[in-house]
Amino acid sequence: MAWYHEITASLAALFGRRRQDREMDEEMRFHLEMETKRLVDGGMTARDASRRARRDFGGVERHKDDTRDERGAGRWFDAWSDVRFALRSLRHRPGLTAAATLTLALGIGATSTVFGVVKRVLLTALPYGHPESVVAVWSAWKGFDQTWLSYDEWEGWKARVPAFADIALYFDGAATIDGDSPERVRSSAVQASVFSILGVRPERGRGFTAEEDRPGGPRVAVISHELWERRFGADPSVVGRQIPISGSTTLIVGVMPAGFQMPLDYAGGEPTAIWFPLATDAANQGAVPGPAFPKGGASHGYYGVARLAPGATAAAANSQLKTLVAELEEFGYMSNVGFHAFVVPIEEQITGRVRPVLLIVFGAVVLVLLIACANVAGLLLVRGETRRRELAVRVALGAGTNRLARLLVTESAILAAFGGAMGVALAAISVRLLRANAPLGLPRLTETTVDWSVLVFAFLVAGLTALLTGVLPLAQARHLAPAGELREGGRGATSGRARLRWRQLLVATEIALAVVLVAGAGLMIRTVRNLLTINPGFRPDGVLTMRVSTPSQWYPDSTRVVAFWDEVQRRVAAVPGVTRASAVRILPLATEMGDWGLVIQGYSPPPNQGAPGDWQVVTPGYFETLGLTLRKGRTFTAGDDMRAPLAMIVNRAFEQQYFAGRDALGGRVRISSSDTTRWYTIVGVVDDVRHNKLVGTVKPQFYATLAQFAVAPGSTRRSMSLVARTDGDPKALIASVRAVVRSVDSRLAVSEVRSMRDIVDAAIGGQKFAMQTLGVFGLIALLLSAIGIFGIVSQVVASRVHEFGIRAALGATPNDLMAIGLRSGIRQAATGLVVGVVAALVLTRVLHTLLHGVTPTDPLTFVAVVAVTGVVTIAASFAPARRAARIDPNVALRVD
Amino acid sequence: MTTNHAGPRAEVVRGTLEMLALTLLSEKPMHGWGISLRLREISRDVFDVNQGSLYPALQAMTRRGWIRAEWRISENNRRARYYSITAEGRKQLSAEIEEWNRTSGAVNRVLRFAYTGG
Repeated sequence: MAWYHEITASLAALFGRRRQDREMDEEMRFHLEMETKRLVDGGMTARDASRRARRDFGGVERHKDDTRDERGAGRWFDAWSDVRFALRSLRHRPGLTAAATLTLALGIGATSTVFGVVKRVLLTALPYGHPESVVAVWSAWKGFDQTWLSYDEWEGWKARVPAFADIALYFDGAATIDGDSPERVRSSAVQASVFSILGVRPERGRGFTAEEDRPGGPRVAVISHELWERRFGADPSVVGRQIPISGSTTLIVGVMPAGFQMPLDYAGGEPTAIWFPLATDAANQGAVPGPAFPKGGASHGYYGVARLAPGATAAAANSQLKTLVAELEEFGYMSNVGFHAFVVPIEEQITGRVRPVLLIVFGAVVLVLLIACANVAGLLLVRGETRRRELAVRVALGAGTNRLARLLVTESAILAAFGGAMGVALAAISVRLLRANAPLGLPRLTETTVDWSVLVFAFLVAGLTALLTGVLPLAQARHLAPAGELREGGRGATSGRARLRWRQLLVATEIALAVVLVAGAGLMIRTVRNLLTINPGFRPDGVLTMRVSTPSQWYPDSTRVVAFWDEVQRRVAAVPGVTRASAVRILPLATEMGDWGLVIQGYSPPPNQGAPGDWQVVTPGYFETLGLTLRKGRTFTAGDDMRAPLAMIVNRAFEQQYFAGRDALGGRVRISSSDTTRWYTIVGVVDDVRHNKLVGTVKPQFYATLAQFAVAPGSTRRSMSLVARTDGDPKALIASVRAVVRSVDSRLAVSEVRSMRDIVDAAIGGQKFAMQTLGVFGLIALLLSAIGIFGIVSQVVASRVHEFGIRAALGATPNDLMAIGLRSGIRQAATGLVVGVVAALVLTRVLHTLLHGVTPTDPLTFVAVVAVTGVVTIAASFAPARRAARIDPNVALRVD
Repeated sequence: MTTNHAGPRAEVVRGTLEMLALTLLSEKPMHGWGISLRLREISRDVFDVNQGSLYPALQAMTRRGWIRAEWRISENNRRARYYSITAEGRKQLSAEIEEWNRTSGAVNRVLRFAYTGG
């Protein structure tokens, strides 16, 4: 290959461009002169000879362009001159350039932001080794579609499910790092093999050994990278050091890698910071040792995670579990409750819930991008109109259509490049905003960053917009017939008609797309409204919550725990602004609640079924603090203490299920596993609280006081959530309430400080996110469509000034003229609306999993969408249409 | 790039044009118009269209190093740009002629076969 020729040619082209141009001109002139001379010698007149020579030579400009193209690097100079030319012509129309750039920036920015989110949440692998073969393992039975495993199940699955390479148990809790500034962090108790199943090794030190993971084993812990940095200043000597944690000296044996999170951490809240060995065995669990099962059932309290054997699939694991469970049912394990066990691939487990939301949002943002492109294409078309003569002259002078095409595409490309750059800036800002205001309850959203892949994506999108916005003006220019164009003259009253049709089509498309987006936004707004109007059974506004634990080394008995909470409650209630305070075992909509077997006098459960009740433990004043509605009887008082008769409050579902036709008040209930002589008496009935989910059925639930629950079934709740009600902003109270807890016991750490409103919002985070993004996109779409309509009516009015002048002269009233102008906009709007509504009726179906209380084709929403879009388009047509009304025939008829 | 004079005098395809120009230049250095004129004479005006398209072809061959350009004084005392073939250009030409012979030989055989009916 003669590459060196190419290089020298390129260099010559680089440094000798002007000279080469001059020489080319001279060479071609020489050719024409010689040819003319030859023809004259042959007997032609000088004039004819010159014409003939030119004709035979062909378009001089085109040949020059083609020759330049052959110069090697010279073609870069052509591109550069195209760019300079395009920049110049864009600068001459700053309004149009700004509008087009901003529109594209909006489209590219929004698309890149959403891509960043999608990439992080759905496309970035979880921080586990080969996450594709990690699965979450669950049990399920009547009333529990996805719940914990028992120890026996773990042993059984480990021995008898060949699809599992390994399976391990863990559960989550909280621990306090003691010291001068105690810190409460999320913790996890894991079997030694959990880390290897997740495919993650500690970055420092080691994981747990089998020796440590047994009852009575040494007290050891692994800490998170983040805790190591925050609390221990990334001191490497922490590994091997003894640290007081939750009241006992603990040996730190390892530090997990940065960014490592337990599967559950993604569901929300702060990530786990400390791991302990689970340290349990069958004997400890009261379970049947080995891969055997007790008849009847067992206590379920562990999360399960497994690694699939090489080549095994989740489906294989599920079918093996199914066979095994059928066998167990025969044997009598958990029979008649619809027991089954299943696995969920870890990725689906973590992101399955947000996937549909994000895909919908991504689809929506693509529509926004299309609208933006349509808008810019429309703007460029208008400009194409005003430039027809300039372009025609160029073609007539011999500029090849290829060259012309390159010019136009260069312009689109420059606009797209500007738009892309601004779009990336916009994406950087909106990602920041998104991270700061990420809706609660959406996993990994806050990890979103604008990284190189987002930049590449923005670049590709910009290229796509350059193509999309350039292709129409190009098609328009290709049909230039110079002769006709130049003859058409200044007064092209109707000349633009055919070309106007393209713009009309664009605008109608924009409106149709906008209708789809606005319809989606409307449906989500209604959904969120419906969700917000669901009565959760309590009043979430004005409630501050935080978690406090009373470890047994400082609070050895329940009396002291109760006394502590009495004191905290009393002092917090005295804080200015606080109207009520109390404590509760777990907060509604924050932590899922399990049930406890009950014995209820006068109620005999169907065979093989107990009388389960979701159990809630509270301090007196809880119902008033959280604003539950008392139906009958009374709420708890300070008198319901350890010495008083056991008092229970139940929800309406409890009364309906276990006291059908009877009055629950005075009913007697025993919490099974407690002393058979200890009976609770029902003293009150409250409205159902939607504890686990905002939607769905509520199960029977009972309430006991902290003091009396310590009596029967004899369980002291050591972790409670403090709840404080205020008339003002609950978050304004954080510092003072924290101070109160510290003043009662400075050793205790406070964690999970949240308002009840945040917790409720997190419960509908997916829908809220969809509503907000679709809402913003819908607004952008409406705005862009309005600009489109405005532009088209302006163009119609401007191109028909002459006609309007004649009409006015013939007696048309200003109102008549305005009506003509308006009609031109309304026709596009109507077409767009009809097409958009039809498209929306089909497309909104994808929302159905997100919707609540509204169908994807909700008539009310669609009527509202049509009304809103209609009003916007009419409003946008109004200003330019008024210009038509004010046309002065004298002036209009003089216009050139 | 299509011609507006579609007809018997088909536009010379770029590759052919290059080969013909190289052939002429292998005899002696010539300027652009000279090449164009000789082409028309020899081909009896078959190649009489769009004379200007010769120049991009010359430029391309210059870039590839097949020909060299220099300004000289022409036969009627005018400054003209003369092209001469290089060693590489000769190599290229013989390769193209060989290729051409092979192709045209094949085409001829097919045509003969078609006319004589085999």
